[in-house]
Amino acid sequence: MRLSVLLRIDTITLSLVNRDKDGVIEELVDLAMKSDMVKNRSTALQAVLEREKLGSTGLERGVAVPHAKTKAVDDLVMALGISKEGLDFNAHDKKPSHLFFLLLAPEAAAGPNVKVLAQIARLTSNPDFCTSLLGVRSPKEALQMIKDAE
Amino acid sequence: MFPSGFIKKIMVCVDGSRESVAAAQWAITLAKNTDIELIAVYVVNVNLLKDLVRMRIFVKIEEMDYEKDLELDGKRFLAFVESLARAKSVPIHTVLLKGVVDQELIQKTEEWGVDLLVLGELEPVYSRADASHHVSELVLRKAKCSVFVIKNVEWVERIYNSLDART
Repeated sequence: MRLSVLLRIDTITLSLVNRDKDGVIEELVDLAMKSDMVKNRSTALQAVLEREKLGSTGLERGVAVPHAKTKAVDDLVMALGISKEGLDFNAHDKKPSHLFFLLLAPEAAAGPNVKVLAQIARLTSNPDFCTSLLGVRSPKEALQMIKDAE
Repeated sequence: MFPSGFIKKIMVCVDGSRESVAAAQWAITLAKNTDIELIAVYVVNVNLLKDLVRMRIFVKIEEMDYEKDLELDGKRFLAFVESLARAKSVPIHTVLLKGVVDQELIQKTEEWGVDLLVLGELEPVYSRADASHHVSELVLRKAKCSVFVIKNVEWVERIYNSLDART
């Protein structure tokens, strides 16, 4: 499952407004709402926040992958937020996070869900990709970059 | 189509994709009205789950939760493949496996004396790195038995649908 198929230009932002973790997660869920595939905003938001309580999805190299299974979607929904300044997402390496990949999955799509998360991990394990993605100037450019990398 | 006894045992790997359904349909079509023993396997990729924990995308409890979900997915899918075979009066065994997908498939083809392994069309690869660790690519290279990769899903579906349901 290609990320460039799941993402759309209107579910990508280069200008996250919030500076706190919960606020960023809310912004990402609001982005995901633009896909018209999220049936209930608060259900989706609650699921992601609950998952985050189990352990931070802030990884290394400035990447965060907040995700959750939720009744609020019938299919995989992705959003991408980019923060050039970076913010504290309680990442495992204690460094600021810049690239936020939100994934909402229906409760009965374990296989595709796992594959997409693995795909995100694979792409972001390349430091050059992360640096380039951070430097994009538009959501369209971000989407094209991801498409080219896949 | 083949001389009698040429192929005694076929294993088809199913993973929930439409391509793997076509592979199962092709295998069912081939086995129809023969003595070929047909086995469908679904491998729960526990290795991938462990990788996600190692990368800290998953926490431990998620690994366990998703493993159960993938098992349920596998059982559901195998039940569906079984229904496809039953619909054409073709006997089939279904087996749920857990582990590293390519290793499980290769091991079982040897352990069970499989003559032919059938796979759905390979996913596209976009880099050499992709190809070197892609499951189907690994299976193709390492399997000791013959491997068929089934393409042209629409054609396979038509042929399967045209099969007589009676024995």
